[in-house]
Amino acid sequence: MTVNATILSKPQVKNAGKLLAVLAAAALLFAAFLLANGADPLAIYSNMISSTLFTPYGIGEVLIKSTPLILIAVGTCISAKAGLVNVGGEGQFAIGALFSTAAGLSIGDSLPSFMGIVVMMLAGVFGGAIWSGVAGILKIRANMNETLTTLIMNYIAYQIVSYFVFNDLKDPDSFNWPQTAKIAHSLRLPRIAGKINLGILIALAAAVIVWLLVRKTKWGYSLRIVGGNANAALHAGINVEMVQIVAMLLSGALAGLAGAIEIAGVEERLRQTTGVNYGYLGFLAAWMAWNDPAVAVLTAAVIGFLSVSGNVLEISSGLPSSAISILMAIVLFAILWKGKGRKSE
Amino acid sequence: MILESLLAGAVQSGTSVLLTVCGETVSERAGVINLGTEGCMAVGALFAYIVCAETGQPFLAIPVACIAGGLMGLLHAYFVISRKANQLATGLTLMFLGLGLTAFLGRNYVSVSTEGFTKLRIPFLADIPIIGDALFDQDPITYLSYLICAGMCLLLYKTRFGLILRATGEDENVVYAYGADPIRMRYLSVIMGGMLSALGGAQLSIAYTHTWIEGMTGSRGVIGVALVCIAAWNPAKAFIGAYIFGAAQALQMILQQQGLEISSFLLMMIPYVLVLIALFAASIKKNGKMPAELKKVFEAV
Amino acid sequence: MKSIIKKMAALFTACTMAVAAAGCSNGPATTTAGSGGSSGSPVGVGFIFVGTKDDYGYNQAAYKASLDVEQRFGDKINVFRSENIPETSEATRVLEQMIQQGATVLFPTSYGHLDPALDAAEENPNCVFFHQGGLKTSENLGTYFGTIWESFYLAGIAAGSTTKSSKLGFITSFAIPQIMLNINAFTLGAKSVNPEITTTVIFTGDWSDPALQTDAVNSLADGGCDVIATHQDSTKTIVELCESKGIYVCGCHADAGELAPTHWLTAPVWNWSDLFVDMTQTALDGKFKGSVYDGKYRGGLKEGVIDIAPYGSAVSAELREKIDTAKKQMIDGTLFAFEGEIKDRDGNVRIAAGTRPSVDELETCDWFVEGVIGSAN
Repeated sequence: MTVNATILSKPQVKNAGKLLAVLAAAALLFAAFLLANGADPLAIYSNMISSTLFTPYGIGEVLIKSTPLILIAVGTCISAKAGLVNVGGEGQFAIGALFSTAAGLSIGDSLPSFMGIVVMMLAGVFGGAIWSGVAGILKIRANMNETLTTLIMNYIAYQIVSYFVFNDLKDPDSFNWPQTAKIAHSLRLPRIAGKINLGILIALAAAVIVWLLVRKTKWGYSLRIVGGNANAALHAGINVEMVQIVAMLLSGALAGLAGAIEIAGVEERLRQTTGVNYGYLGFLAAWMAWNDPAVAVLTAAVIGFLSVSGNVLEISSGLPSSAISILMAIVLFAILWKGKGRKSE
Repeated sequence: MILESLLAGAVQSGTSVLLTVCGETVSERAGVINLGTEGCMAVGALFAYIVCAETGQPFLAIPVACIAGGLMGLLHAYFVISRKANQLATGLTLMFLGLGLTAFLGRNYVSVSTEGFTKLRIPFLADIPIIGDALFDQDPITYLSYLICAGMCLLLYKTRFGLILRATGEDENVVYAYGADPIRMRYLSVIMGGMLSALGGAQLSIAYTHTWIEGMTGSRGVIGVALVCIAAWNPAKAFIGAYIFGAAQALQMILQQQGLEISSFLLMMIPYVLVLIALFAASIKKNGKMPAELKKVFEAV
Repeated sequence: MKSIIKKMAALFTACTMAVAAAGCSNGPATTTAGSGGSSGSPVGVGFIFVGTKDDYGYNQAAYKASLDVEQRFGDKINVFRSENIPETSEATRVLEQMIQQGATVLFPTSYGHLDPALDAAEENPNCVFFHQGGLKTSENLGTYFGTIWESFYLAGIAAGSTTKSSKLGFITSFAIPQIMLNINAFTLGAKSVNPEITTTVIFTGDWSDPALQTDAVNSLADGGCDVIATHQDSTKTIVELCESKGIYVCGCHADAGELAPTHWLTAPVWNWSDLFVDMTQTALDGKFKGSVYDGKYRGGLKEGVIDIAPYGSAVSAELREKIDTAKKQMIDGTLFAFEGEIKDRDGNVRIAAGTRPSVDELETCDWFVEGVIGSAN
């Protein structure tokens, strides 16, 4: 963990070149798959890229889709720096979304727009932090492996959300359909352009703050010590448990914030399947980026691009939706194959 | 009557998880965690089903499913051992690949019927009160799972190979001292893990439900990874968590059938809450220790 | 370190630029003008499904009809399909992406796609939307559905006449209005021939998890149910297991009679093809406005949108006649499954004597009739 960030210039360019090469290999491999299934890879690729990266609409959708992934990924990075593996983004997102929806619905129109949105965001942060905090406490007090507890709590969170959208939070005007009512118009996150809402800027700001927090503050220093070697941290007089629990809370808080943004910025109401798989994709984005919050922004954007353009792939090739998962897996494997490059331990 | 159906349910819906836990135990003992067991299970479920549907030979389906699962294990092993990729990220990617690939390849088998394995009642043993039906009126893969559990215990604790395998997860120097190659040992155990998970998937598709549909593994593979910890990395205890999970799934149905007026969502939470409680109990008791090499996975950041 | 900051700055700039670019247009560009069928270039027709198109159930029924639409119109149309679309803003996104690819006629085929589709419809006034099962409509979005509860009522007659124990089982996923309505219809049908009937409902929390389906059948069998009906996608597991356990079974969505040669009764099935073709034709002719589909169109046995699958050998000639008679009466309007007085299981009158509820009243059902055992939430 003696890695620092002064390693750029030439080797970095080489590293980027390698990354492009493996991505190209992945594209070739998937092209073979497309050919074998009677689809035209060139036409499909150009359609995928032109309709997502070369239209304002497509770029907007990629940014919207990447927003929660960035937040969850960055959150995953914090806990990882403390030596904790949080696979619970899925559940923390869901509970965050649930809390902020509940807050939003009870606020209604009663608060000024800005305050109402802040309350919703805080509720999401609170919900996510509770869900990860439970796992953090179980880790510290009962020595339960946080990877497993966060994983299992994802399933519990899904059932809790289902319970509420089928019962207490069911929209009275949706013909008994299991979804909550829409939040008030004043509570929607302002849009900055087209359908793009403020969420992407919040996510990027969060990434910058986390990067600074981890790299530039005393707390971040102790965080990295704890993650590097808990025993050494103890000797250095660091309160390891405190650092770990705070890291876990922050991690969940960001996933919860992602849930709140998804509700206030995109969905406007909570459903059973809101944000399904975002947690796992965000986790992947973080670990693909070796838990570097700056790189995680990029990997999250790549995954966002893949999933938005994957729809175009399915629409224009006539292949089943499983082709998107296959493409995603191939690209991720390519990145994994390349590894960390020069930085690898 | 209710107790008996609960026990039968525990074994029936627990077997696929049991095999996965066994496989994952072997893999983790060598220091490799595979979050992609879900994908291995799906691959096993599909290929077993395809072989059954095409040849009508369930006994042929078992080796094919195992080979397919072994290949998934090999993929995982290559990435995490030879390419030193992060185990958790690779595992999740493997899961997406397995689920996607099987959904794609299995499209034409959703409406295909095949006999597969049927229940095979073992005389005398099945007449034991209360547990007889649950344990000895089952399909052949379930019986195989008993043998595999026992066999894995013998392999791990009574053979030289097992000793080296356990050492692979604890201290590579010991492995070298035995003149063995830890890398080879890891490859072998991850592949074995994939094969056993795939066999678990096969039990789901050709022995328990006689159906293939995408996503039919329904997170049982993911839960299996959590249950390894409850079993304290010991195949002899693998059945505890697996049957608790199976029983909880059966219980939610039995409670509904009894007309209990509790939200079905709360009932559906039971299996996961129970797993959490079991994990809590296992951690408090500190029974079994995580293999040292595995710890590194969680700590190396 | 500086370079990382630089990188972040570059990223920020890139995002800002992207945002600025996106600001230049509002929503997706709808390049294709209206739906004039006579013009040369093919018209895009898009279908989205909530599950997989090979689910042997609800989605496959709609998917098959989409194939028939494709075949019927040939190169006059360009068909887009997308499956496994969650009922969230993802559905809006996929609909808009289809519109970008040139679709102007869209079929969101799951109830939960309604609000996302309304959003997409508002943004794309030139496109026509046909939503499956919705109760809300807009200028360019109409809804259609089949009164599948009629078929469930008929299946209930079959089940009620077949059972010896008077205990019926029903396996399904979630307590949503459409499903509660079907459970009620099934139970009312059964009670019309045997007032002692109870229907025990098991919710699996999944549309097609075969292992949970197996657990559910086992526990219903242990509880003494001797006829099981279902509302799931992919009912194959349930049908085959019932056959092997000697339990009579009513399927759902598709004729699976061959899977249970001795214990198959019948199944409510969809017949979307003619309706889909007609809706597409209406849209291609530019005649959506004011057509029957501009609003809430509901087709039933009479219109041929729904039906029941062929009877199994377990259904006696006498029983066939009984069901066929009921079917005829439903078609000519003399029999209506939900004609009052109907009480819920707490004894409250839900449908007053002699009245027939409206589509809205029926399709918002959140209560169970007397005789249903199960939790409604």
